[in-house]
Amino acid sequence: MPASRQEKMTKKERIDALLKGQPIDHVPFYPFVLGFCARNVGYPLSVIYSDSARSWEAQLWTHEEYGFDWGPIYGYASYGTWEFGGEVKMPQGAYEQAPTHITFPVQTEEGVYRLELPDVKKAGCLPLAMEFSRLQEKQGTPITLIFGGNFTIAGNICPVEKLCRWMIRKPELAHHILQLATDHIVDAVKYWADTYGGEQVIAQIWEPLASNDIISPKQFETFVLPYMQESGNKILGMGVKHIFYHICGEQNLNLPYWTQMPMGDLGICSIGSQIEIATAIKHLGTKAIIAGNIEPNILQTGPPQQVYRLCKEIIEAGKKAPRGFMLMSGCETPPETPPYNVYLMRKAIDDFGWYD
Amino acid sequence: MAQFRQDRMTERERLEALLNRQQVDRVAFFPIHGSFAAAMVGYSKVDVYENPEMAFWARLRTQEMFGQVERVSYSGGAFGAREFGSEVKMPTSEYSMTISLLKAAVQSEEDVWKLKVPDVKTAGVLPMMMRFSKLQAEYGLPISFNSGGILTIAGYIAGVERMCRWMIRRPELVHKLCRIVTDFLVAIAEYWVETFGPERMIPGTLAPTEANQIISPKQFEEFCLPYQKEVHEKLFGLGVKHIFTHVCGEQNLNLPLWAQIPMGDPGIVSFGNEVDLETASKYFPNDIIMGNVEPAVIQTGTPEQVYELSRICLQKGKKHPSGFFLGPGCDIPPKSPPYNVWTMRKAINDFGWYN
Amino acid sequence: MASEERTQELIKGLYDAVVAMDEEQAAELSQVALREGVDAYYAVMNGLAAGMDKVGQLYAEQEYFVPELLLCSDALYAGLGILKPHIKAEEAHIKGQIVIGVAEGDVHDIGKNMVKIMFEAAGWTVHDLGKDVKLERFAEEQQRTKADVVAISALMTSSMLAIPQAIKMIRERDPKVAILAGGAPLTRDIATSYGADGYARNAGDVVQEAVKVLSRLKGN
Repeated sequence: MPASRQEKMTKKERIDALLKGQPIDHVPFYPFVLGFCARNVGYPLSVIYSDSARSWEAQLWTHEEYGFDWGPIYGYASYGTWEFGGEVKMPQGAYEQAPTHITFPVQTEEGVYRLELPDVKKAGCLPLAMEFSRLQEKQGTPITLIFGGNFTIAGNICPVEKLCRWMIRKPELAHHILQLATDHIVDAVKYWADTYGGEQVIAQIWEPLASNDIISPKQFETFVLPYMQESGNKILGMGVKHIFYHICGEQNLNLPYWTQMPMGDLGICSIGSQIEIATAIKHLGTKAIIAGNIEPNILQTGPPQQVYRLCKEIIEAGKKAPRGFMLMSGCETPPETPPYNVYLMRKAIDDFGWYD
Repeated sequence: MAQFRQDRMTERERLEALLNRQQVDRVAFFPIHGSFAAAMVGYSKVDVYENPEMAFWARLRTQEMFGQVERVSYSGGAFGAREFGSEVKMPTSEYSMTISLLKAAVQSEEDVWKLKVPDVKTAGVLPMMMRFSKLQAEYGLPISFNSGGILTIAGYIAGVERMCRWMIRRPELVHKLCRIVTDFLVAIAEYWVETFGPERMIPGTLAPTEANQIISPKQFEEFCLPYQKEVHEKLFGLGVKHIFTHVCGEQNLNLPLWAQIPMGDPGIVSFGNEVDLETASKYFPNDIIMGNVEPAVIQTGTPEQVYELSRICLQKGKKHPSGFFLGPGCDIPPKSPPYNVWTMRKAINDFGWYN
Repeated sequence: MASEERTQELIKGLYDAVVAMDEEQAAELSQVALREGVDAYYAVMNGLAAGMDKVGQLYAEQEYFVPELLLCSDALYAGLGILKPHIKAEEAHIKGQIVIGVAEGDVHDIGKNMVKIMFEAAGWTVHDLGKDVKLERFAEEQQRTKADVVAISALMTSSMLAIPQAIKMIRERDPKVAILAGGAPLTRDIATSYGADGYARNAGDVVQEAVKVLSRLKGN
């Protein structure tokens, strides 16, 4: 869609400057937009996750059309199931959005101790993710490895209800899985860092299962914080400069712990609509670029006026972030979102997002 | 949004310039989208036919998204059907696109002779059309209403097959139908001009049933030409300056006859992909021509195919002395990947500048 | 019994009546043919059907258009209505069975009706599902009738998307049935990409295409 104002930077210049903490011309748009891209170009939804070349194409074309700044990216929330030996199903029906579990790697207590670390060169979606990163490198877009956070991976290895019970009844089982998840994260990032150079890689961690709709802040402190600190520090030790945390869902009570996570220089923290931008800035704004947080439900079903107004409010709040801000949906933009509403997110940047 | 070359004119200025035979900075992208616009804003297909406000906003927002000419129109879907008492079917199926005829009002010869011009203030979708036009006026957009095609509308009254048989067996019945339709269209025009004045009017003559896939040029000459010409001339007599005529489908054999119908000063004549734009240019040297990327390719082709077709259209259309709009050959199907539609706008950015 | 010369005169008369859209003449000559002992099946195939074949050619050449086609078919059916009851069962060589319909979401059936006429004229049994046909009906009807061919058409660009779904459903139940797809927004390439075995640009060519497809498939 034609922009009304001429840009002063290319999108690569804008993102590079943002990551270095340098001035930029306008708020960038981070596209947490995956299945929508498939719909936009007429591909089946499943290719976003099952075919790296077509996933790349669908996203790249859509980014070009809408003027998005970051990406394309490859990843999904049920990461860990397939990698540790379970099965996932690619999205197919009209109401499906992303890969979902068919069987979990661990169903019993005995199964926990039989778990092995996956071969990061072969396990699950990692070969597809590596193909995708080759395209990122070739095109000069950020080389991003996306995986669940430690707790989300654990909850994808054994069903999260089981994990929750074990956290209370058999914490040693939960800790065992979490340690494996942590070691796996480090292995995977190391593979990427060895392939591309640590400073070229951005590790992106999605942590929806750690939301306060599932666990308490105390449980976060015990079962999330130490593991994520361990993997985060090791990742930064590989030369990785930026860790991107997607703090998904209701996590207000976890924010004091998120501030203790290794971020890099700079970190990036994206938030759901449940956390106010101002609150995120207060806790994380000195260490990280803030990104967010348009409510996906409103994108999908809200009238355009509501979407536009919401984007305006978020941009105006986000522009105050001292280390930088990206406009983004609070979680994945649903594939059935009316295209006009997606357009409005970018239009709102054009109207309100310039740093003059 | 995409970074295109900076426009030197707004969409409104560009349309005004073309209608005044002035130079423009680049080719404009003309919208033909009803149910596609519904998909862009999350409305149902039925919404954009049955709710004029939703129809207006869906089209205007889609036009905005894709950087298209600032003109929206509302033809009512199967226009003529409900106005004369035919039954219609709503586009509720996943695979339907527009309103279609279920049962024609005219079933027999006697029904033809009983036909009367309906009240243009109350018949069928006309009240909804008027609501739509009031929004066009409120937002400073060109005001539209239906000005044809004569046989297309007659087909919604009597059924196309029945009308085709009568063309040979009982031509006087078809002439009666065409006369009623002509008088009806002129009455609509009078009502619209009385309400809004003629200055900002761009009525639409949409003519798919006139295609040579159905009738011969001889049948066009007998049953369409005199009546369509009469309607257009009467519209100009009321002060209307420009008519948008969509010459839909395979109509190469009809072109010399369409060329005898005045289109405006200038008119806008749009063509299906079956008519080559260079041929169209020869027949309509004094009108703006428009077209004509094949809708089936927009729907199921690759972006490269759409881009290439757009490039070819631009190459041919830009040469036209009276101006050119890039557009689809007909209504954009609702399941067309939006990226394919956007690719047409991209092609304008790459090939559509007048330097 | 009519002489050979007289028979050919009557046959030509039937042929000409169809091409000339002359319903009355077609009906009258059919009666005469019966009275004079001309074989009914012979009269249908070499008179009426041959005339319709010519009409199809004229349509493909843009000499005849839909109004002419419709009236020619009226003449054809006027004659068929008289001659068909007199065709001896052992003589009637049914060329094939075809299920035909317009895809879901589409009510434009002139093209489909033209195709139906051409198949009936050529001696096929046609199971006409009509227009706006729910996708699963094509497979169901093919199963019920054991038709050799299924033909699906669409005029609207939106309803052409229904065709590959319908073809998939047909193939799931019978992978061997021949499928034709057609209609204004389709091309041969599109029809093939949808999984169809054949395509015809207009009604004039479609019976030939069906015969070609069937013999190709049987040869495989």
